[in-house]
Amino acid sequence: MKTQLDMDKIAKGLGAERRGKVTSTGGYFGAMQLLADIEARLRVPTGGGRPTDPGWTERRLVPLAPRTLERLEEIAAKVREHGGMRVEPMQLAALLLEKTTEKLGQDEAENLLRPSGAV
Amino acid sequence: MAKKRTKTAGKGPRVLSGGRKRVLVVLFVPSVERDSATQIDQPRWVDSSLEMFGRVFGGATAYPKAKGIWRDDERGGALVKDEPVVVHCYTTPADIQNGRNLAELGSFCRKMGREARQGEIGLVVGDEYFAIREFGEE
Repeated sequence: MKTQLDMDKIAKGLGAERRGKVTSTGGYFGAMQLLADIEARLRVPTGGGRPTDPGWTERRLVPLAPRTLERLEEIAAKVREHGGMRVEPMQLAALLLEKTTEKLGQDEAENLLRPSGAV
Repeated sequence: MAKKRTKTAGKGPRVLSGGRKRVLVVLFVPSVERDSATQIDQPRWVDSSLEMFGRVFGGATAYPKAKGIWRDDERGGALVKDEPVVVHCYTTPADIQNGRNLAELGSFCRKMGREARQGEIGLVVGDEYFAIREFGEE
């Protein structure tokens, strides 16, 4: 599970002002943070095999558009080029899905629900 | 009914050593003073920052020069153009929230801000930008 950082404590400790969020899901910082997450989380299983996150114990079939799969394959290839880490496209999908659902707060989740009777 | 297959990964060897370093800290090392004209000893500050990150957080990487710009609102919105070096350090949530580590990182930033005559030292920790603007003597 993602560890929340106490940004006020960090600001106080640094003697700095908090100036706002950077784009953490896209752009340069998003890419770098994604790489850090991949490197931090994927482990080689005891019995061998490709690296995975030990917390990923559930398996489901997820329908994808071909362009989405292509994009995942492109990003996975770039991660391998940049960091040398072998990550599979669907492992990347699992990580992105997890990050997005963690960011979606309770209020935002409730906003996704249509009021009963709405067309 | 077929038994659901759930593959469980064990606690095998880590793909990369160094623990679960999932917090990215980014420091911008400037190339010019606040006046946008006076060059600073950037290689010295890059080396010093790498030494500090190595000692405090276990390592860092300095990337080749980038192109940057900063609006100095305290000087009528003058645009300061420079070529910063971006230093990346991956660390753990525990290490970046440790008071002693924060004090050392903050102290380094204030020293660089003061001696290199900057208007602001910028740091990104995780997904947040921090600005250090008060560079008082330690």
